[in-house]
Amino acid sequence: MVTLEELKDNCRQILKEGKVKYIIGYKRKNGQYMTVPAFLDRIEEVDHLVWDPSCIYNLVRYLRDEKMRKEKEKEPDTRPVGVIVKGCDSRAVNILIQENYITRDDVYIIGVSCEKSGIVDEKKLTKKFAGKDIRKLDFAGNGKIQVTCGTKNSVVPAEEILADRCIECTIPTPIVFDVLFGEKTDREVPDPFKTIKELESFDTTRKWEFWKEEMDKCIRCYACRSVCPMCYCDECVADSISLAVKPDTTAEEKAHKIRWVEKSPVISENFNYHLIRAMHLAGRCVDCGECDRVCPVDIPLRYLNRKMEKESLDHFGYTAGMEPEKPTLVSCFREDDPEEFIL
Amino acid sequence: MKKRIGYFICHCGINIAGTVDVKRVSEDLASYPGIIHSEDYVYMCSDPGQSRMIEAIKEKKLDKVVIACCSPTLHETTFRNAARTAGINSFQCEIANVREQCSWVHKDKVKATEKAIKISKSVIERARFNESLEPISIPVTRRALVIGGGISGIQSALDLANSGYEVVLVERSPSIGGHMIQLSETFPTLDCSQCIMTPKMVEVSKHPKIKLLTYSEVQDISGYVGNFKVKILKKPTFVDPDKCTLCDECTTVCPVAVPNEFDLGLTRRRAIYIPFPQAIPATYTLDINHCPGLVPIACGKCADVCEPKAIDYDMKPEILEEEVGSIIVSTGFDLYGKDEMAEYGYGTYEDVLDGLQFERLCSASGPTMGKILRPSDHKEPKEVVFIQCVGSRDPEQHCAYCSKICCMYTAKHAMLYKHHVHDGQAYVFYIDIRSGGKGYEEFVQRAVEEDGVVYLRGKVSKIFEENGKIRVWGVDTLSGKDIEIKADMVVLAMAIRPSKGADELAKKLKIAMDKDGFLSEAHPKLRPVESVTSGMFLAGAAQAPKDIPEAVAQASGAAVKAVNILSQEKLYHAPTVAAVNSTLCTGCGMCVDVCPYEAVSLAEGKANVNEVLCEGCGTCMATCLRAAASVKNVTPQQVHNMIIASLEG
Repeated sequence: MVTLEELKDNCRQILKEGKVKYIIGYKRKNGQYMTVPAFLDRIEEVDHLVWDPSCIYNLVRYLRDEKMRKEKEKEPDTRPVGVIVKGCDSRAVNILIQENYITRDDVYIIGVSCEKSGIVDEKKLTKKFAGKDIRKLDFAGNGKIQVTCGTKNSVVPAEEILADRCIECTIPTPIVFDVLFGEKTDREVPDPFKTIKELESFDTTRKWEFWKEEMDKCIRCYACRSVCPMCYCDECVADSISLAVKPDTTAEEKAHKIRWVEKSPVISENFNYHLIRAMHLAGRCVDCGECDRVCPVDIPLRYLNRKMEKESLDHFGYTAGMEPEKPTLVSCFREDDPEEFIL
Repeated sequence: MKKRIGYFICHCGINIAGTVDVKRVSEDLASYPGIIHSEDYVYMCSDPGQSRMIEAIKEKKLDKVVIACCSPTLHETTFRNAARTAGINSFQCEIANVREQCSWVHKDKVKATEKAIKISKSVIERARFNESLEPISIPVTRRALVIGGGISGIQSALDLANSGYEVVLVERSPSIGGHMIQLSETFPTLDCSQCIMTPKMVEVSKHPKIKLLTYSEVQDISGYVGNFKVKILKKPTFVDPDKCTLCDECTTVCPVAVPNEFDLGLTRRRAIYIPFPQAIPATYTLDINHCPGLVPIACGKCADVCEPKAIDYDMKPEILEEEVGSIIVSTGFDLYGKDEMAEYGYGTYEDVLDGLQFERLCSASGPTMGKILRPSDHKEPKEVVFIQCVGSRDPEQHCAYCSKICCMYTAKHAMLYKHHVHDGQAYVFYIDIRSGGKGYEEFVQRAVEEDGVVYLRGKVSKIFEENGKIRVWGVDTLSGKDIEIKADMVVLAMAIRPSKGADELAKKLKIAMDKDGFLSEAHPKLRPVESVTSGMFLAGAAQAPKDIPEAVAQASGAAVKAVNILSQEKLYHAPTVAAVNSTLCTGCGMCVDVCPYEAVSLAEGKANVNEVLCEGCGTCMATCLRAAASVKNVTPQQVHNMIIASLEG
């Protein structure tokens, strides 16, 4: 099990040594049991560091902000940024390295293993402990989570309150790290793609009905895109207006801007946007589940990404973020790649 | 800027007009936005057709033209040249394919006409955003590389050298000569193979323009047409050819004996050996795989007896770098081996031979000095069965294709056998006889009529040894009778396969192979000696099974194609290449991974296209998640507009 004190000691140590610029971690949200991202650049701030089943966020997202900040600075501090990562998050770091977005030297990776547990789904938790004053969540080891309500502790099997993605997770230990806390564990998951099983059994008409209803809800707030660590492009192809107009952008380039997707939130355009995003995440999505979690209208975006993950695994034996030195899914070609989809 | 576009649709006789109402198309498009001129004509590619287009461009001040006709692979150049004559940039001319993609594949005239309109509109939309481009010019290294020193490679090298160009000829075995030098006589004239081959080999060795690298292999190739950089591994022979006097003392002391490749295992050679007396270069080679050791402690006998001190155990492999402008690949063939063909006792019974082994038996320089004797007991075989199509024309289990030369060489073998053993009998099992070629049919007839060769139409079911005879069971499908022959020797006309290692070389050169592993030509009829990679040409049996005259003809053809490149001051490359919008590029490098031409690289965190290497295939454009890569004149904008145009209405 991860010992919080050891984790804190390590963070204090690397800040003291000046090894890292700052550390991205988790801290308690104004006295509540859930956490928020924390940016620790002073040793004393490490006291607030938290690691428990409420650490939902994929902090790799903030490496993008760091990169952009660094690009603007005249004499940037080139020291790495410390980032606390779970198994899934570590694979996101790997992809950023694989895609040359960052280098391995840009990050000091503090890995924490979820072991046989994971991160809670707040909806499941509040439903199970409805009306109770939840104060604190803790890993209780052996696939259990301790929930403190008022002064009373109750230990529940993790599955009852875990996020769906954590229930289906087969890689709970970080793949890449500078320092690792907790045990390296394997997880036996009988059906890692359970989420999409039902939907896959639908016929085309029913699938269409299902997605039409979901896409109709989309308000195009782009929260899914903003939270995604993989959506780091300066300018998204889904944007019909040029966001990245730079001094060398010519008038012709602006005039030739293609509107692949119209801005208005109507079903067809929403479909276009989400399908482009799903395709662009093929072989890149690590199922951190953030898009699904942040959606204000509860579109099950994980279904799309999970399906793409399944396809890339079934057809190409590819799992995102495992080997950063190898070509990405869409940029590798092997002679024995399946071609049955070619007519 | 308002575009003035001209539209022309060709009837192509009835090829297009038979299925597409060309008049209607032309009238319909006359009112399409931007179209200033629209007309149809019976043959646009004819001289008057082109003149009409040129006239229209000049008269109506057109700045773009779209021709609806056959595939752009056929007449794009014609119309682009005509457009240039008329004074507009040739890349302002686009072809709408309404023949192969429309009239030829449809029957319903109304629907085909609708489709022709849509195809035309989408191409007009593409043309609307076409940039004016100029070809990219590149310098030429005026030397050539020939890979493989068989008859094809030798012929190509000689033709190139005699045209005045330097040639690097690379051969992986210790001597040039290939399979032809192993043959005894050649059909249909029965002239001695070595006698006609060796003068060419000597010419190669003496030619001032040919740099001969034997016992060498191509390791790596980079660059592009006109400017290839080749790394060649020269393996050590451990013998200095300048010092060697060919006294043969070394082989008499060498303690190792291994099967001789030149005689296909019918004889044995030493670890230090000369492949055959007329080998070029005339020198010995120490086979490191069989030598007991390169240190005097292990053996060192050959170095001891070598008076001129030609043997140097310290010789190291060398990597040579050569720059060439074009490459001819003539890696030749191998016969099906015993691993692939076990049915007929090949490799099990000593007296079951393949065609090349039989050639060595017939050859005056062969193991039996030209006497045909059984390898098992050195007796003269009185009955010999020749079996054709062993492994060929057998799609279920072996090769689907016809190996082409077996009918002829089997007739030759049977004939040669009869010339050596007058009282012997030759039987040939065949499926059918393919003797197309000058003097070929007459040759086969001669074998039957003058030499009494018995041709049996049918396949052999079983071969087994019994009491020193090889019993052959077969069926004569013409008479329907079962046949059993107690033969003294069986000769199998094995299927011809691409030479071993040709597949690896093809990958290094990035030239395509067909399903059987032979190198693919660019067009089966019109570009038979060109590979799909520009600047690389094919000669001989590496491309498909072929006989000597065909191989020589193709080799000369390939040489002329290479000269086409080498004789240019500069080469021109199509400017429709990829470009990267650096604003959108995040430097992920996926395009670098996918580019089949290695044209994309990362520079300062952004993708960068080498325009000379780029072939404009668009793979980078399809891969780029950020839509940063696009091919000139096929930009995402143009493709988008083309899709919209073809979906409308």
